[in-house]
Amino acid sequence: MKYLIPALLCVSLAMAQKPPVPKTADGKPDLSGIWQGGGAAGLAFAIGADNAKAARPDSSPAQGGRGGAGNAARPEPAPYQDWVQPKLKEIRDRRSIDDPSGRCLLVGVPRITSMPLPIKIVQTKDEVIFMYETFHAFRVIPTDGRKHPDDMDPSFMGDSVGHWEGDTLVVDVAGFNDKTWLGVGGASIHSDALHVVERYRRVDYDTITYEVMIEDPKVFTKSWNTAPSFLSLRPGERLREYECIADNQDLLRFEELLKTPSLFVRPPQ
Amino acid sequence: MRILFFLATMIAAVTPSFAHHSFAAEYDGEKPITLKGVVTKVEWENPHMHFYLDVTDEKGKVEEWKFEGFPPNMLVRQGWKRDVTLKIGDTVTVFAWKARNGLNQAHSREITTADGKKILSGPPAGTGGGN
Repeated sequence: MKYLIPALLCVSLAMAQKPPVPKTADGKPDLSGIWQGGGAAGLAFAIGADNAKAARPDSSPAQGGRGGAGNAARPEPAPYQDWVQPKLKEIRDRRSIDDPSGRCLLVGVPRITSMPLPIKIVQTKDEVIFMYETFHAFRVIPTDGRKHPDDMDPSFMGDSVGHWEGDTLVVDVAGFNDKTWLGVGGASIHSDALHVVERYRRVDYDTITYEVMIEDPKVFTKSWNTAPSFLSLRPGERLREYECIADNQDLLRFEELLKTPSLFVRPPQ
Repeated sequence: MRILFFLATMIAAVTPSFAHHSFAAEYDGEKPITLKGVVTKVEWENPHMHFYLDVTDEKGKVEEWKFEGFPPNMLVRQGWKRDVTLKIGDTVTVFAWKARNGLNQAHSREITTADGKKILSGPPAGTGGGN
């Protein structure tokens, strides 16, 4: 008991001392900062479980963490159409050796958000800029009312336009090619009809909740809400170079394995 | 050990696809291996660190093993220091999973240093899709 009261006081002080959500000059929540995506599990994977526990003592991968970001919530499965199932089975049987990200290709949205390397966000009056350490990807997201351009070329990261709904940044992403894997919730294949809507909300000083709706009428039977997640603020962190191609030895080993598929392909059951 | 492996597999099954390539195509999560040896080389390069051990068997025969691990960018955030945490001449014990190609290659998970300190060096089996 004699330790309990001081402990409670410390917790109360820590909570009281957490700064409020910063605002920009025009009153919007300011998302600027360096963040790690992937929720509590993503943070633990990226910086180690002990460091993650120290950074977010009230989060755990099992509980899904605070901020209503239920990693532990039972996720809705990807609503694939029947014709896709044999292709998904082939991916499983080949143990994902064909994942385009293994070749260091840009991983698309929303997968880029959960990669185990940090994201720097810079917010201005008319744009929110995301810089990803992963594969040096970036997104410049206008928030001044602009629509998607008429001449979108199909691309790995798609074209992003944003707007504010109250305190939530809503980003509409379209104009994808079909060369990435979704890489979230067990999903992989998508088409060039992919349409993603992301919702970012800075619910407290060190948390941005992240919700994603995915549509793809060529491969899905309906729209799909992926499991909610969150980004954790990473004070003192900096973006480092992540050159993926120069020393990507996995690619050479994959090429060797592909010459003898029996080494890695799952045997028929 | 079987329970540990089962837990590792369960964790892998629910771990989102954080890694940038498939673990399971390249390494066999059902073939864990623990090797003790002397570090001969450390390749501190993204997208993945590699290091080499000279492992001496009970007959005195020395074999070289090559291990893959986390990218340096992740290792430094987990507390590693280049040329300090793991350096040439260190005697270490490595827990890893063997490569499917049959060569002396493996994916490291944890390194135990000569003074008994344990440090994570790579992701759990199954990371990156396809257990």
